[in-house]
Amino acid sequence: MKASVRPYAFSVVGVACALAIWQVLAEAKIAGNALPPATTVFSTLATILGTGTFWSSLGATIGIALLALALAAVAGVAIGLLVGSFESVKYATLAVLEFLKPVPPIVILPLAVLVLGPTAEMSLFLVVFGCLLPIVMQTVDGVQGTDPVARDTARSYGMGEGEILARVVLPSAMPYIGTAMRVAAPAALVVTVVAGLLGGGPGLGQNIYQAQAAGDYASLYGLVIVLGVLGLLFQGVTRLAERRVLHWHESYREAVPR
Amino acid sequence: MRNWVIGIAAPVLLLVAWWFLSANSTDPFFPPLETIIVRFRELWLFEHFQSDVLLSLGNLFLGFAIAAIAGIALGFATALVAPVRWMMDPLIHFLRGIPPVALVPIFISLIGFGTQMRVTSIALAALFPTMIATVDGIRSVSSDLMDVAKVYRLTRKERVLDVLLPAATPQIFSGLQVSLQVAFIVMIASEMLGSSQGIGAMTLLAQQSFMTADMWAGILLLGVIGFLVNILFSLLRRKVLSWYIGSRRLARAS
Repeated sequence: MKASVRPYAFSVVGVACALAIWQVLAEAKIAGNALPPATTVFSTLATILGTGTFWSSLGATIGIALLALALAAVAGVAIGLLVGSFESVKYATLAVLEFLKPVPPIVILPLAVLVLGPTAEMSLFLVVFGCLLPIVMQTVDGVQGTDPVARDTARSYGMGEGEILARVVLPSAMPYIGTAMRVAAPAALVVTVVAGLLGGGPGLGQNIYQAQAAGDYASLYGLVIVLGVLGLLFQGVTRLAERRVLHWHESYREAVPR
Repeated sequence: MRNWVIGIAAPVLLLVAWWFLSANSTDPFFPPLETIIVRFRELWLFEHFQSDVLLSLGNLFLGFAIAAIAGIALGFATALVAPVRWMMDPLIHFLRGIPPVALVPIFISLIGFGTQMRVTSIALAALFPTMIATVDGIRSVSSDLMDVAKVYRLTRKERVLDVLLPAATPQIFSGLQVSLQVAFIVMIASEMLGSSQGIGAMTLLAQQSFMTADMWAGILLLGVIGFLVNILFSLLRRKVLSWYIGSRRLARAS
């Protein structure tokens, strides 16, 4: 019992130390006004949490991230099934996909802002662009990792191609897609913030930009703290969702208690 | 054979289509590919090569190198000393939840707009993936391996450098790959947020002054850099981890 409490005690000490160091450094004015004390930041944060603009920004950020994630998931799985099912399509798209894969959405941000302006559509487009490729690639891997015996069995039971795709190939690709979604969900949040910060799209990214431009450092730190918490929530919720959706798969199955 | 023909023909066809479809384009957003390539040569080869391209790449590599070394070192410290791990764990997870680019405004307000700020932003943002992967890598080293090391009475230094480090290297490299991606993104972001030098700054400036061909040239260059950096890293990984890749292949073949 005692041993299991100790890690938490150390965690509390660690967080307390970090906050204390922050407070002392800020009180000593090592960075002038650019580093506000922790107490100021948290009281500013409390004020921000009471305003309607904050909640509508938060809603915009979460809404854009989730909508784009859903669009990217549907399109990505569809494209992935297509690319994974036909050898010729796979080879035709291989070079393009491999080239685009390491290119982050921030690279095409200037183009998106130019064509769509600082709008929610622009953010949406960038997030879909950023999340689409990983989902496509993983789906392709999943389709190609389908057990050929299961596929042949389905065929000998007289299933049509469409039925095999829906009932054999897609389920066996699901763990791959689940992994892709778990990586894509936090990334969607990050790209939404980037689109707001650098491209002026609606949401918390834009608020951070405004706080920095206005020299409102306490709000700047407060908003970054909000983003940290939001990021953790996104990671936690997607992990949970992945478990729920894929509970039937062997790598997620819990051992049956005897 | 047929597949490889398709594989090479498809992207070539795509580029040819882009060239001809955009040839007489008067759309201000989508200038002819020819104009883009001409601007690409004028801008990057080599007028702004030293002042902007080398500057950006220098920041990228310096920041990434700092992140890699510090990430691995901190990862080892965190994984090997339990109290440190307990103290650091919530902080690391919280900092990891913050989008790396959101840290850039904070560094601008703390350090200003100079090169120092950019390298610091890149290094700090890229630190976490490597550090977390290192901790995971060390913690997943099999206890059999550690027991054998103990039976052979290896010293602590030998155990860390000759047993733990090689065993954790595959995971460390996955962390480094993520770090490299983050470093690249933060490099661009730190240039786009109020700076007049660097590829990212030039690209955004071109967009804001409606010099569309220049913007396309910048996007093209950034895309190529992102692609090449990734390839270089894969080559390095293959070289360093050749023993691991080989053993995996053997394990799968048997």
